[in-house]
Amino acid sequence: MDLPAEAAAAEMVIDCDVHPILPGGLDTLMRYMPEAWNERFRRKGTVLAGTSGVPLRFQHPNGSVPRLDARGPKGGVAGSDPHYLIADLLDGHGVDIALLNCIQAGAVSAALSGAEESVHLARAYNDYFMQEWLPLDPRLRFAPTVPVQDPEAAAAEVLRVGRHAQVAAISLPLLNIQMGNRWYWPIYAAAQEMDLPIYLHVTGIESLIAGTPAITAGSFDSYIDRYLAMPQLAESSLRNLVFSGTFERFPRLRFVFAEFGFLWLLPLLWRMDRVWRGLRHDVPWVTRPPTETLRGRCFLTTQPVDEPADPRDLERLITLIGAEMLCFSSDYPHWDNDMPGATLRFLAPAQRRRIFAENPRRALRLS
Amino acid sequence: MRRTARIDAGPAEAILAGRFTMVTAGTRRIGVTRLANGELRALRDRCPHKGAAICQGLLGGTWLPSEPGELRYGRAAEILACPWHGFEYDLASGAELFWPQGAGLRLYPTETVAGRVFVIVPEARGDEPPEARGDEPPEARGDRPPEA
Repeated sequence: MDLPAEAAAAEMVIDCDVHPILPGGLDTLMRYMPEAWNERFRRKGTVLAGTSGVPLRFQHPNGSVPRLDARGPKGGVAGSDPHYLIADLLDGHGVDIALLNCIQAGAVSAALSGAEESVHLARAYNDYFMQEWLPLDPRLRFAPTVPVQDPEAAAAEVLRVGRHAQVAAISLPLLNIQMGNRWYWPIYAAAQEMDLPIYLHVTGIESLIAGTPAITAGSFDSYIDRYLAMPQLAESSLRNLVFSGTFERFPRLRFVFAEFGFLWLLPLLWRMDRVWRGLRHDVPWVTRPPTETLRGRCFLTTQPVDEPADPRDLERLITLIGAEMLCFSSDYPHWDNDMPGATLRFLAPAQRRRIFAENPRRALRLS
Repeated sequence: MRRTARIDAGPAEAILAGRFTMVTAGTRRIGVTRLANGELRALRDRCPHKGAAICQGLLGGTWLPSEPGELRYGRAAEILACPWHGFEYDLASGAELFWPQGAGLRLYPTETVAGRVFVIVPEARGDEPPEARGDEPPEARGDRPPEA
């Protein structure tokens, strides 16, 4: 499945979604929080291992979202050992730049902790990764998580972490508040000021904990049922960002939708443009067709790539969507990852370059 | 030289901004109105999108591009919104207001003689643009080619 060696060597790979996870739980974060908050979390018996809060019915049917084969020689959960992640993903698969996105911090910040707690926990997660991971390898980049329950504190965190040269995006956990709502304006203003894109990715607790977005009517039956519904979150978020005028209100702000796939975008683009032609005056601040509004401002990561029987069908769909909107992502070390040598191989070299390198450079802040 | 017919649309003072005076030319229905500045407009009563009787749509102004959260209303008596899908057309030019590559309205010239308005209509149906059905290729639909 690997590319020929020459092609692989010549190709720049920027991986826009890699998942580190906190080793050691709360003890690891202790040194990054004030004593009073440490004591509070310790007395409450706070557990920060894995993504807590997911009930039995939605547990992965094979027992683990992180790959069992990516645990590394020290054991532990895949993604918890930065040295192994660097060796396995970056060295082993020719990844030149990897964006770290800790969804565990996202779940904690979105709803597993209270608003005040989340301010301290998000900051501690960010400091942990900035101080203990980023110095290990200049190829690592980071999307710090902000305490979205408190927009002013989140904006302050954007300005604080945004000074770090390896911070390339701001991970904004999903709440049950549409993405164009004024709740987020302080965060968007800060991100725009720091030239950092807003990075949207599920935290894993959506529709499970009050405060997170409900994905569908009713509940789900199983992991597979819930897993396949996740792109609906991206579709509703993108649509609301467009028609709320967020792209006009923050004219330099970029958005990255990570791990929602991308084929769903095509009918949405067509429908948004068609309906905008007729009902534009309902939202006159949307001054251009939605498809034009999104160009250069909105990016989708590729994983999980859908797999039609004939991959040329996918090439045609990518052309229709606009290859300039897509950024490669592996989702390493999760079970449904798309490794770079086995992903979108059928695309012409120029198209691959755009998706694997040029578009990520436009989407992320890679100074 | 193409043969034309002159269709009597009635006294000039009866053609008013904000409403259509309807006339027929063979099988074609034509609406006649005025812009806010008094200029006459005559157009075929057929939306180029899917063929609706567009002169039964909303004839007025529209909400112009604005800052987020603000509204600006303008172009009174110059914008026609189709009753079916709401596509807005600029009666000054005939073009779709915010989708310039779309097929525009079929406009006809007018002349005012001795206080009466006449619509000048080609007699040969072959001179008419193809009837829009919306699901044809862009060139058959009458869309303008995209700009290079």
